[in-house]
Amino acid sequence: MNPLTQHQLNINRRHFFGKSATGIGTAALSTLLGKEGLSANPQGNDKIPDYIRQIAPKAKRVIYLFQNGAPTHCDLWDYKPKLKELHNTPVPESYVGGKRFSTMTGNANGKLLLAPVEPFKQYGQSGAWVSDFMPHIGGIADKVCFVKSMHTDAVNHAPGISFFMSGAELPGRPTMGAWLSYGLGTMNDNLPAFVVMTSVSKGTTCGQIFYDFYWGSGFLPTRHQGVKFRPASDPVLYLSNPDGMSKPMRRELLDDIGRLNEMKHQDYGDPEIATRIAQYEMAYRMQTSVPELADISDEPQEVLDLYGPGVHESGTFARNALLARRLAERGTQFIQLMHAGWDQHRSLTTELYTQCKDTDQPSAGLIRDLEQRGMLDETLVIWGGEFGRTPFLQGNMKDRKGWGRDHHPYAFTTWMAGGGVKPGITHGASDDIGFNAVHDKVHVHDFQATVLHLLGIDHEQLTFKFQGRHFRLTDVHGKVVKDIVS
Amino acid sequence: MRHDSQHDNHNLGRFRLSVSATPDAKLSTGERRLQDALAIEAAKRSEAESKLVTAAHREATPRHAELEKLIADKENELNSNRKGLPKVMVMEDMEKKRKTYILDIGVYNKRGKEVEIGTPAALPAFSKDLPQNRLGLAQWLTNGENPLTARVTVNRFWQQLFGIGLIKSPENFGVQSEVPIHPRLLDWLAVEFQESGWDVKQLIRTLVNSHTYRQSSRVSPDLLEADPTNRLLARGARYRMPAWMIRDQALSASGLLVDKKGGAPVNSYQPEGIWAEATFGKKRYSRGKGDDLYRRSIYSFWRRIAAPPMFFDNPGRETCSVTISLTNTPLHALSTLNDTTYVEAARALANRAASSAGKNGKPATQIAHAFQLVVARNPSEQEQEILENIYNRAQLRFTSDPGAAANFLKNGESPRNSELPEPQHAALATVCLGILNLDEALTKE
Repeated sequence: MNPLTQHQLNINRRHFFGKSATGIGTAALSTLLGKEGLSANPQGNDKIPDYIRQIAPKAKRVIYLFQNGAPTHCDLWDYKPKLKELHNTPVPESYVGGKRFSTMTGNANGKLLLAPVEPFKQYGQSGAWVSDFMPHIGGIADKVCFVKSMHTDAVNHAPGISFFMSGAELPGRPTMGAWLSYGLGTMNDNLPAFVVMTSVSKGTTCGQIFYDFYWGSGFLPTRHQGVKFRPASDPVLYLSNPDGMSKPMRRELLDDIGRLNEMKHQDYGDPEIATRIAQYEMAYRMQTSVPELADISDEPQEVLDLYGPGVHESGTFARNALLARRLAERGTQFIQLMHAGWDQHRSLTTELYTQCKDTDQPSAGLIRDLEQRGMLDETLVIWGGEFGRTPFLQGNMKDRKGWGRDHHPYAFTTWMAGGGVKPGITHGASDDIGFNAVHDKVHVHDFQATVLHLLGIDHEQLTFKFQGRHFRLTDVHGKVVKDIVS
Repeated sequence: MRHDSQHDNHNLGRFRLSVSATPDAKLSTGERRLQDALAIEAAKRSEAESKLVTAAHREATPRHAELEKLIADKENELNSNRKGLPKVMVMEDMEKKRKTYILDIGVYNKRGKEVEIGTPAALPAFSKDLPQNRLGLAQWLTNGENPLTARVTVNRFWQQLFGIGLIKSPENFGVQSEVPIHPRLLDWLAVEFQESGWDVKQLIRTLVNSHTYRQSSRVSPDLLEADPTNRLLARGARYRMPAWMIRDQALSASGLLVDKKGGAPVNSYQPEGIWAEATFGKKRYSRGKGDDLYRRSIYSFWRRIAAPPMFFDNPGRETCSVTISLTNTPLHALSTLNDTTYVEAARALANRAASSAGKNGKPATQIAHAFQLVVARNPSEQEQEILENIYNRAQLRFTSDPGAAANFLKNGESPRNSELPEPQHAALATVCLGILNLDEALTKE
């Protein structure tokens, strides 16, 4: 940090936080940060209340690399030799059994099975099969836990993503990050507890948009909603001083606003005024800490190389992955990256390559980077989409360029690494063509319960009362998948 | 040539290519058929032949074409006039009532018992004498025998004025709600409200004229300890105003507010790219002009997937949420310090204060006027001194850097309309931005 800025900050910390006699001290900060959250207590703001703390936390934070549009488990993760054998033959009826599909597919009976587009290889000591689409992630297979028996209720994108994030297909429930902000408070005064960054592959034809309820706070207080970091010059809305107002001038103005507020505080005695003073001070610090966070010029070349060439361009998945690590270092607890464009209805042999290139190296790079810094153990990284894709073809078998797969909720793969998850394992399995999850099935609610468990939270205890009912992320469902917890 | 249908079985039927040297050659080979038709006696022509002849006749008569064009133009005019009329959604009952069923654990295609119109057993019965439709429901809701509607409504207005309702959970008056803090007061207000003919203005007058509302919001240490959240109302309410109200206040105090009622929603200031980011560039925000920028917050256009960011504490609107969010985050402060709305309001406020201080008004007077316009009192001596300090320092900086002054005064679309020299105007605007960000300005007390 610029020494001058540091000096200015120090003067102000002394000015505002050193005066415990006037009542404006850490107490004010804790009201500001913890108020309305479960952790509202005068002692601090990062304490989990006893009744939701059942288990010692294995992870301190989550980086969720969410892949919007549903990546094809058949072509990327879930290796099924039988699918190759049965290529171009109708899907046996025993697999379909009256299941519901998107309106594009309608009835799945008679649809032709499609072999994976690229071959698979085994990696590492664990011998995990990973497609040639994802060589970098293959390279870290021994650090990864693949869950190959995921299944969900939703068949379309927005309800599917909403279901993963909030536990309900309809928009309006609090999302996972909001629940954690509510349950755990914040670890860093200068940065939000829940940050979201979005990206999309170049040239994709996908039409899914980023609804803000994917990181909404639902009926929890608005302060728990994800703060979106943007690739624009202002990573956070309204971060920059207005045109014509220099930094020293802003500092002076804030000092004077602070003085006037303090006089008001003396006169009125309302502790909220002390909160206001702290709030403005934090805003000023955020004006420094956010640009500092977004400025990657201090990253050595070998670190940048981990994330691949995309890292040099702002707004890419690679850049966002690097920023995610920088946020994790600074104490942000839930970092949600959303990368769109995985909806390969007719682009398995075209757009899927770009899509994988955009995400493969940065995802693997993030894991390696975290590990090098000794942060992987306490950071849970999750990679996955809202559902999988059909083992059968969507399109015309003769037109290889237009091959695609439709939405498929009955089996798909999500992988996790670090944060208390067993490395180098595969949990659960789908049947021999990747159609239905059959062994150790993991429902979305089970997945959510497990994530909360890894953070030391009992998913049945983290509740919020709204309209006469106690709501939770997992609704009335969810079983912790103990087998993957280290 | 490439057959590009997704459907294997869809093929072209009869395939034909025609070549012509004429630039606008028509596909039709009607000439011959027309000649044949004309050769037949009018009465003996088939329907198709008559049509052919009529069409040819029309084409060949210019007057006919004129008239046809006239008719088409008039029809277009009529249609575009129709399109210009505002559309209003109207709900009505279907002619034949649709059958409604209890769904087995909510699954849409698992029908259980058929059900009729009615109200939950715990609530007053839905009389068979009432129309069995929405009108009946409205009558049931506002029937004097039903205490709930008036209680809920009164409680919401109470919340709006006091920051917290007589019942803390305005969305829930059921068995799981909080017991009202003053149950008899709530009932009295509810009955008064009903008997006044549901007169909202009168209700608000009763509330704001009450001794409780007019109390000072000063907090003594004893009171703070006895009742930290002021549920018992031994002091006046004091809480941060919602974002939409803070904006309205800034517009009003600065004189920018365009107090026009009704009309289409407006697009006020918002940082660039928010819609585009949310929609991959498919939707772009186009900011309004002139008056549209200064209408009350209630008229703001609201795109649900990307709500106007200046309303930093508004719920997402996916679920109905009627509680006020009173928390404060640094992001809120950034918005009122840096959003164009407030920076422009500060500039206009400075201008307003300067004009009301008179032609030879001193900065001290101008500052006092601005303070008065926002917090409705005169600054104390000490406050005045600090505010003047802001002014003097800012004026020094802006005088030595006139470019900065000019830039600062360019925030916002309204023209700078002041006789003040730029550095003085910018300095006063800086003071005004500070005033708009005072706790006292953001807080209702």
